Amino acid sequence: MTHELLNGLSSAEAEQVLGLGTRLIVPAGTKLFGLGDPADRLFLTERGRIRLTLPMQVRGREEDVFVEERSPGQTVGWSALIPPYRFTLTATAALLEAEVIALPREGLREYFAANPAAGYKIALNLAVVIGHRLQLFQTMWVREMQRTVEVRSV
Amino acid sequence: MEMLLMGLCMAVFGLGIAALAFGAATRSESSDSAVQPQPSLVKPVVPARFFSDRAAVTPTMPPVVSPQQVPIEVLLLQIENHVRMEQAAAEMFLAFPSQARLHSRTSSPFVN
Repeated sequence: MTHELLNGLSSAEAEQVLGLGTRLIVPAGTKLFGLGDPADRLFLTERGRIRLTLPMQVRGREEDVFVEERSPGQTVGWSALIPPYRFTLTATAALLEAEVIALPREGLREYFAANPAAGYKIALNLAVVIGHRLQLFQTMWVREMQRTVEVRSV
Repeated sequence: MEMLLMGLCMAVFGLGIAALAFGAATRSESSDSAVQPQPSLVKPVVPARFFSDRAAVTPTMPPVVSPQQVPIEVLLLQIENHVRMEQAAAEMFLAFPSQARLHSRTSSPFVN
């Protein structure tokens, strides 16, 4: 399994980082974390899919609406490394059971301090993950705005 | 002769009863539908016309169903499909940026 967060690391470095984590089995439909929860762990998806949702009012009812899905190799919950360390989405195992590696923030910080070269590579990989999310949602936002403008200007 | 007349009377009587039963059956059907009208899911596109029961619906036009008539589970699934299509379109733009791709149309019912 190749994890996007560990790109460019030697196999020894990758093993050391993975060794900081704990394997978790998330049964299908079970919440991994909720919106607003304290984010003290970052997750690497090993197996299954993690659904990311946000609450939305649908016909007067609050419903968790699909935002994104993360598959094996992808990172979930980078809010653990970004202040104010609160999850901004809800993560749930999709239709099937999922397996993730939970990496604690404190353990990662200590590792980065002791291994700055590896920490730098991980920080760059995280920037790619966050940057892609930003570009994706920026594009989706402009598309939505364009349609709103079209509707309003008719 | 009397037997023939008797037989004729019985036949006419039987025919009358059959006609009454048929009439009663037809009446009860129409009254049932009057008591419990079936809600129509499809709005008529063209008003009904005299001497024609056929609705003049354009074949390319999908049936117009108001959002309130769609079960909430279906609506949530439609929202999810819409988000997936929008993400795919956004990914395509990010891979090959151009103004045309930025505002490309998807087949999502939310934007059509």
